Amino acid sequence: MNRHKLLNSRRLSVAGFSFLFTYILSFQFEGQVLYSLLDMHGADADTYILVAIIAHFAGLFTCGLFIKSQAAAKNMMLAGMGLCLAATLPFFFAPSSLWLGGLIISGYFSGCSVAVWGFFLKAFTPENRRIKSCADVLIYSNLLMIGVNVVAVNRSTFIGLSLAILCLVIGMAFIWMLPADQENEQNKTSKNKTYGSIKNPIILLCLFVFIITINSGLMYQVINPAFDHLTGLVSWYWAVPYIVALAIMRNLPMKEAKHSKILYIGMAMIIGAFISFMLLKRNTTDYLIVDTLMLGACGIFDLFWWSILGEMLDYSDNPAQIFGIGLSANVFGVLCGGVLGMAVTSIGLSGAEVTVIALTVVCVTLVMLPPLNRQLVLLLKSHVYLAVYDNMSQSQQTDIVRQIKTLDPLTVREQEVLQLILSGKSNREIAEALFISESTVKTHTRNIFSKYDVGSRSELISTLLKNQRVNDT
Amino acid sequence: MKLIRKRRNGYVLMLAVSICLAVWLGATFMIEAVFAFGAISLISLLLLVRQNRLLYDATLIWDNRIIAVPSALISMPGSQEKKDNDEIVVSTFGILIGSEIYRWGLDGVHGVRLHTVHINKGQMYLTFGDTAHTMRVELLHGITQKQAVLDAAQKLFRETGVTADITGW
Repeated sequence: MNRHKLLNSRRLSVAGFSFLFTYILSFQFEGQVLYSLLDMHGADADTYILVAIIAHFAGLFTCGLFIKSQAAAKNMMLAGMGLCLAATLPFFFAPSSLWLGGLIISGYFSGCSVAVWGFFLKAFTPENRRIKSCADVLIYSNLLMIGVNVVAVNRSTFIGLSLAILCLVIGMAFIWMLPADQENEQNKTSKNKTYGSIKNPIILLCLFVFIITINSGLMYQVINPAFDHLTGLVSWYWAVPYIVALAIMRNLPMKEAKHSKILYIGMAMIIGAFISFMLLKRNTTDYLIVDTLMLGACGIFDLFWWSILGEMLDYSDNPAQIFGIGLSANVFGVLCGGVLGMAVTSIGLSGAEVTVIALTVVCVTLVMLPPLNRQLVLLLKSHVYLAVYDNMSQSQQTDIVRQIKTLDPLTVREQEVLQLILSGKSNREIAEALFISESTVKTHTRNIFSKYDVGSRSELISTLLKNQRVNDT
Repeated sequence: MKLIRKRRNGYVLMLAVSICLAVWLGATFMIEAVFAFGAISLISLLLLVRQNRLLYDATLIWDNRIIAVPSALISMPGSQEKKDNDEIVVSTFGILIGSEIYRWGLDGVHGVRLHTVHINKGQMYLTFGDTAHTMRVELLHGITQKQAVLDAAQKLFRETGVTADITGW
């Protein structure tokens, strides 16, 4: 019965968030509806778009500071979507200061509403199925967005705007039906129990997301303008490869979907998109090839980091903060990528030169992804292993340290430091516990790494606790 | 350690002065002088970095001291040198003799390691080194009580993993 209830809650939360995200994608965040409206009235698109993106970033980044519970998250989502609805109404009328104000309000509160969904993703989707919930949300919202875009471009912009608002209303209805205070057993036990600092993994993930998105932003700026003449096709086909890639990734076995070779496929597709763009012409078939490679890669990358972000929610008591910060890195990347793209395209170089510069930037940044991913995976594994270690008895904990052979025996002091590392303590906490300086702890830690022949704390934890984890499972 | 800190401060001062002079002379277009002071700045910076690392190691040794002694005799293959200083300490990570540092246990299994410790009534002998070089230090420990020697040996074992060989007590 409980499982059935949880499944229903998951579906409701996915549906509610998908409709909210459709509104954001089709209108508020560089959506086709917003572009059509600005174009129709001859307004300065850059200012409006920039303001909306910055407000959205602020909403994502700050929401976790004041939303701390699931009940508050539900209220925030409902209120935020209501405010977005009210702030969108002025767009049915002629441009005025209400447009700018409306974009600031809708940008900020849509950011908050997105961030707080982290609570529902954590509560209603089991850890190993979060990649599927994230894929569902991205697939449904992009499908709905295509529908809204097609109507806005081919029928009427105002009908498109009405549909975007309708999405908000439907989304609110789904969110309203969600249970407010349901916390599953997993959450209850994990509450107030974090293993080591979440700061490092989140910084790494943000860097990872930023690099991926900066490339996407750069590609849009360089590639999209070349196919402006194919408006009809672009309005519906643009996101199709993205959705197909998400659907494939969603249905891959769990291990495959998280495997780093997926990253290499994505990288090859992005580079392929650029090379095709340089070699091919600008007709329909060429667009289909370039867009399929480019957006397919975006789909792979997006689901890759969304799923990591979903996993990270378990390591914090405030999922809104983690989810919001992770997604704000995405928005920041879009902003920087756009600026970089504009800078590259506006210096008066030929199309081929611009493409080569963009390709170089993309290649250089993409090279950073595999090591970043490796480090991120290690840090996340450390959290999992530390949780396992924490549940062991004292004798089991001692056995683990003894079982693994070292290049040289640890001193008594090093053993003490190692036990505290395995308890998830930071260098400062270890220093306080042993009444020694932090630089002494760092030196002992370096020596321990050397004796276990590892390069980092996360690698050490993985090496020591990997076998135990396998035995337990 | 005081001397290392004093030297470090001297290099900071030299760096600041040479940068200021280079900027000032640059503003008056005295290119040759700018190059000269630029070079001095660069050298000061390198010396400062080196001295900072020394100070870091010295602080580490000082913070983890196990025993303080009044006199040391350093033996290397082919040479011997006596050192008297009011600031000689044996620590988890080496020996500090005034401004001189003999490090061990700072670079993991492949760096310099403490190999043996021998303590008798008046002296303490420490052998340390890596695969290429070995050094021996003789210290006048000045300890008169057996319990104090045992405590020092126990602390040494706890921190470095080396069991001291105690004789003559």
